Amino acid sequence: MDTVFAGLSQGFAVALNPINFFYVIIGCFSGTLIGALPGIGPINGVAILLPIAYSAGLPPESALILLAGIYYGAEYGGRVSSILLNVPGDAGAVFTTLDGNPMAKKGEAGRALSLSAVASFIGGTISVILMTLFGPLLASVAIHFNPSDYVALMVFAFTCLASLVGKNPIKTLLAAVMGLMIASIGIDANTGVARFTFGIPDILAGIDFLVIVIGLFGMGELITLVEHQVTGKLAVLPVGKSFVSWKDLMVTKWVILRCSLLGFFIGVLPGTGASVASAVAYGTEKRIAGKSGESFGTGDIRGLAAPEAANNGSAGGAMVPMLTLGIPGSGTTAILLGALLLFNVTPGPLMFVQRPEIAWGLIASMYIGNIALLIINLPLVGFFARLLTIPQKYLTPLIAVLAFIGVYSVVSNPFDLYMIIGLGVFGWLLRKLGFSLAPVILGVVLGNLFEDNLRRALSISGGDWMILIESGRSIAIYVLTALILFVPPLVSSLRRRAATNAATSEA
Amino acid sequence: MADRIFGSIALVISLIYGFIAFTIIKAPFQYDPLGPEAWPRILSVVAALCCLYIIARPDGQKFKVLGHTLTRIALVVFFLSAYAVLFERLGFIVSTALFCGVLSRMLGATAKQSVLFGIASGILGYGLCAGLLDLNLPTGAIFKNLKLL
Repeated sequence: MDTVFAGLSQGFAVALNPINFFYVIIGCFSGTLIGALPGIGPINGVAILLPIAYSAGLPPESALILLAGIYYGAEYGGRVSSILLNVPGDAGAVFTTLDGNPMAKKGEAGRALSLSAVASFIGGTISVILMTLFGPLLASVAIHFNPSDYVALMVFAFTCLASLVGKNPIKTLLAAVMGLMIASIGIDANTGVARFTFGIPDILAGIDFLVIVIGLFGMGELITLVEHQVTGKLAVLPVGKSFVSWKDLMVTKWVILRCSLLGFFIGVLPGTGASVASAVAYGTEKRIAGKSGESFGTGDIRGLAAPEAANNGSAGGAMVPMLTLGIPGSGTTAILLGALLLFNVTPGPLMFVQRPEIAWGLIASMYIGNIALLIINLPLVGFFARLLTIPQKYLTPLIAVLAFIGVYSVVSNPFDLYMIIGLGVFGWLLRKLGFSLAPVILGVVLGNLFEDNLRRALSISGGDWMILIESGRSIAIYVLTALILFVPPLVSSLRRRAATNAATSEA
Repeated sequence: MADRIFGSIALVISLIYGFIAFTIIKAPFQYDPLGPEAWPRILSVVAALCCLYIIARPDGQKFKVLGHTLTRIALVVFFLSAYAVLFERLGFIVSTALFCGVLSRMLGATAKQSVLFGIASGILGYGLCAGLLDLNLPTGAIFKNLKLL
């Protein structure tokens, strides 16, 4: 407990430093803005702005504070376009449209926006508190992990991805393997052998992480935007004067609490972020509500509060494994992890000890950021609503310009400009075919860590593969992996059987 | 069908990847039991298995892009490539102005709007990023000789 308080006080010293405080506010503000723009979510926002933060020469803790602010700010802002436009800002906000938009149609947009802001705030704050408590704890356990435990963790991470993210587990797995394959391009660090470079000097050092991220998420998004461009104006529903009442909060308080916790724990699972969290939260609350849950989908405030609390809870949860294990908890944290590596900071159990200003500075900044977001979001919601009307015809070219600036200012190699265009087309195709892109980026980020640990483990054992299942810790992780793999299908088949039984007994 | 086509292409790629991993990649000498070829070998097998599964049991998802939309996407990719070609040659300001102007025109801005938008984003973008944030942006090969900027 002492370490937590000492760490927090150090963290607040970093986060309250005027410059960093400024970055928290800027990050939260631009995050909300990015989240509010229809189509652009946290992952695209962070991807596009990361290289600019990098080449602007910020110190690592400031850059991370800024980028994290954009991340959870965008989780906050995603609700605005969901509620007012019925167009989710990103995958995590899909479930917000279900009850948020009907409320806005009833003329209760103000109430929906303010209630979801409060739910987001509570979800975010609960997850930061849990992060403060569990982060150092997990780090102190993880410090004893050996290479074979890390291999087990990686297997766990990819299993979580495959079984929880996306509709088709095999496609998700293939996407992750593609990421791992991309990561294997370049010179092998252990032996100096070039792999898959085909003699092209530009990729000897591997394909730059920034290039992959900007290509897949920046350019891919741009092509998707052009594809879906709607001719004519989207109708933005008026915000109106209605506001959240004390009674609303009382009705939803348990929903918000439950979903915040749920969101946090789903966020902690490697690879599963806001979209899974909000989907599970919505489904669970609907089931808990029972008979009265029939109003879900028609403007029920519980159905609005649940996904919002969960997706903001997951943002904090996803940071925990990223900071303590170096394994990102979601697609966006995979990019943040890549950002840390760019700054020569290795996330992992030692970070709390070696670079406390970064780990604790980030945590402290999230307390401040959440409060700032609530303050920004309640009165300024009308302003963000007006931004929704920024025409796509201007927004789309600007995304490309930002991506070009980002890539060029970091690597200054025109070859990479062609590379992002190619990757953008590839990313668009993958999405078209029902693949999700987050596993790809997770594969890219984890590729070297996975391979290095595997090789190190086998070096320790002298080539004996049994070392992978020798320690109690790795066996425990494999058991968890099996649970993740087999429990969800089992539960759903049991439920189906129960449902058919009930149906036959009623008949 | 789209799944099957994609699966086949991905299968071919993973087979090529696997072929290279199994035959070409080799360390001249190594002390570790696993060399640089082991990891790609594992990946190629997993990828090929995934591809085979997708070919055998596709999602049945239709790949629907209208011809009209496809033309627009092809145009955007063309503009982006042109932007990339001109980026260093004409410099940030001119290439950005051209790109923003043309793309916004294609996306439905009027002629006047797109000209204004292009010029504004070129100049403001340069001022903000190169001036204020001190980022490295190309001034353009043709201006270097003129010493205009």
